[in-house]
Amino acid sequence: MTATEPVRSGDTYDAIETWSPAQLADWQLERVRHVVAGAAGNGFYAGHWREADVDPRRLQSWEDFRRLPLTSKQTLVAAGESWTARGGNVAFSTRGTSGEPLVVWLDAAESETFIVPTMRGYWWAGFRPGQTALMQSPAWHRLAAMEGHAVLRLGGNAAYYWGSGGPQYAGYFMDALERVRPQFVTTTAPFLVSLLRRFEDDVIDARAMFDSVRSIVAVGLPLTGQLRAHLSDRLGSEVFERSGTQEGAAADECAMHTAPHIHADVCHLEVLAPDGSPAPAGARGRLVVTKLHDTGDPVIRYDTGDIAERFDEPCGCGRTLPRLKIYGRPESSVNIAERRITAYDVRTCVDADPELVGRQVLLVRDGNDGDVLNVAIEGTEHNAAAIERRIHDQLGVERVSFTWLGRARMAWGFRQVVDKSEVQER
Amino acid sequence: MSVAATRITFASPDGELNFADGDLDRWAEHLVWCYSLIGVAEGSTIAVQDFGTSPLAYLGSKLLMPTLTAGVAERLDARIICLDASPDRIVLTPEVVRQVTPDVLIVRADILALLLDGSSRAGVDLTAVPGLSLVVVLGGESPPLPAGDFRRLLHCESSLLMAPQCTLCGCFHLREGVYELRGGTIHNLVHADAVPCAPRDLRPIDETCPLAPGDTLFELGRPEGGTR
Repeated sequence: MTATEPVRSGDTYDAIETWSPAQLADWQLERVRHVVAGAAGNGFYAGHWREADVDPRRLQSWEDFRRLPLTSKQTLVAAGESWTARGGNVAFSTRGTSGEPLVVWLDAAESETFIVPTMRGYWWAGFRPGQTALMQSPAWHRLAAMEGHAVLRLGGNAAYYWGSGGPQYAGYFMDALERVRPQFVTTTAPFLVSLLRRFEDDVIDARAMFDSVRSIVAVGLPLTGQLRAHLSDRLGSEVFERSGTQEGAAADECAMHTAPHIHADVCHLEVLAPDGSPAPAGARGRLVVTKLHDTGDPVIRYDTGDIAERFDEPCGCGRTLPRLKIYGRPESSVNIAERRITAYDVRTCVDADPELVGRQVLLVRDGNDGDVLNVAIEGTEHNAAAIERRIHDQLGVERVSFTWLGRARMAWGFRQVVDKSEVQER
Repeated sequence: MSVAATRITFASPDGELNFADGDLDRWAEHLVWCYSLIGVAEGSTIAVQDFGTSPLAYLGSKLLMPTLTAGVAERLDARIICLDASPDRIVLTPEVVRQVTPDVLIVRADILALLLDGSSRAGVDLTAVPGLSLVVVLGGESPPLPAGDFRRLLHCESSLLMAPQCTLCGCFHLREGVYELRGGTIHNLVHADAVPCAPRDLRPIDETCPLAPGDTLFELGRPEGGTR
């Protein structure tokens, strides 16, 4: 049975979901060997591996694989188009939150490869034939380009709201929602929060607005458990987290909502400790991506810069695909007393208060206070002492300083760390 | 007119466009026709700075849209770079241009000034990048353009109107059999959902262009002020 042999029984989509870990590891190793062999003729990778004195032809085991040197965005940007020599037709740019954007190309063969996990993820989230999905534009992200294909192949209809992912497009989304009456919605988590604000401001019944919607797939930001529950409760729809990167990582949540399952048919994801060794399950580390098909741009041991954590214990859904949560990038975190604190961590502590969940939370970078965590929170002050206690207990941070932003609303976006001067201006 | 079942819907600020199988290919072919009159060559690398819900973006390639069998990329053997038109993405364009060196940059008129200013501050004068042609996408009510050597494309989203400014005659073309000009209003003859569009300061030109003799020609802008 092939990895993507259709099952489509209950909420199981295809065969790979229930492969044993050993079966999956063996299958992925074969894919990795194939991909590495294909990339050996790529000028960039050939030089990169030669410099590290590694012979890709000798790759027989995962240990051999882990001897391949990492690549980084800076390396690939510097390499220009020499690493993208396969001639894709469509390019997407990363957001450039960590400096320069990286341009990644997509070709037809790779598109076919990545449509399959999109169908799988949508199936897990409850999309079924005959339904309509309302989505953000197909051109905003490489993974978004697969969504319309997935929807139609699953026997549904695709609809797109006008504009982009900023809060200024909420009205267009609402118009489309009323016209299309979709059963399924895909958009970014910040956009959903912006919608809730808009509903609140305009005194709109959110549940009535979403009454046709059964499932929402949220991308672009890791959901805290409380934020997911808040969104689900306010919108009356089950919210699923979808995560991935333009460079090839792809993962979707199942109905257990414990963490997204890796689409292990298209990507091998490593989480590395600071010394470059594999981080144990349950420990955070750097996310490293390898695409498993010899299509599109070769991405082999690419250090995304993301902070991620792998979960290997069995999932309640019965799927054996490993799970992984991406918490954010170095740019969405700060170092406090030599501990890396992500915006997600702090949101978890803030969101624990039902009165605060859904408020924008920003980490404020201030070069003067190396052991003080500066947190800016939208709205008026509320239970600061309790938040501080949670931050202390859960994150081990001794000193916390709060700035309450009052009515100075900041657009919920992907940026979660700001400089102190930006907060003072408001 | 489309009679088959809708499979894809694009909402727009003043309506929606529904597409059945085959519809998108018809419009991709038309967009390629527009590009040919604007002077976009086969094999070009085309960067599109527009919202992904614009047909200029989603007709770019079959990889972006289901039911589309050949988009601009496939028909022109071109490469398409998707650049969103939201402010946080516009700032990335200078670096993308540096990395990929597109031949053509298609940009919405309402973000042109922001893009040029931001790029200039990033050290890239987009109006002076060797080999790069700027195509400005005018809407029915576009703002005046900054000075510069731009090619132009009139695009009214809910009308599915795409009318290029011809490099030969200098006029905008309404393609024969696709659009019809009645009074100052342009009607889409092909797509059932398309709403009529009345671009501001449209002036019919009673001439023919040898590139497409059956087309209706027009200019935009007041006679004394030239093209907006």
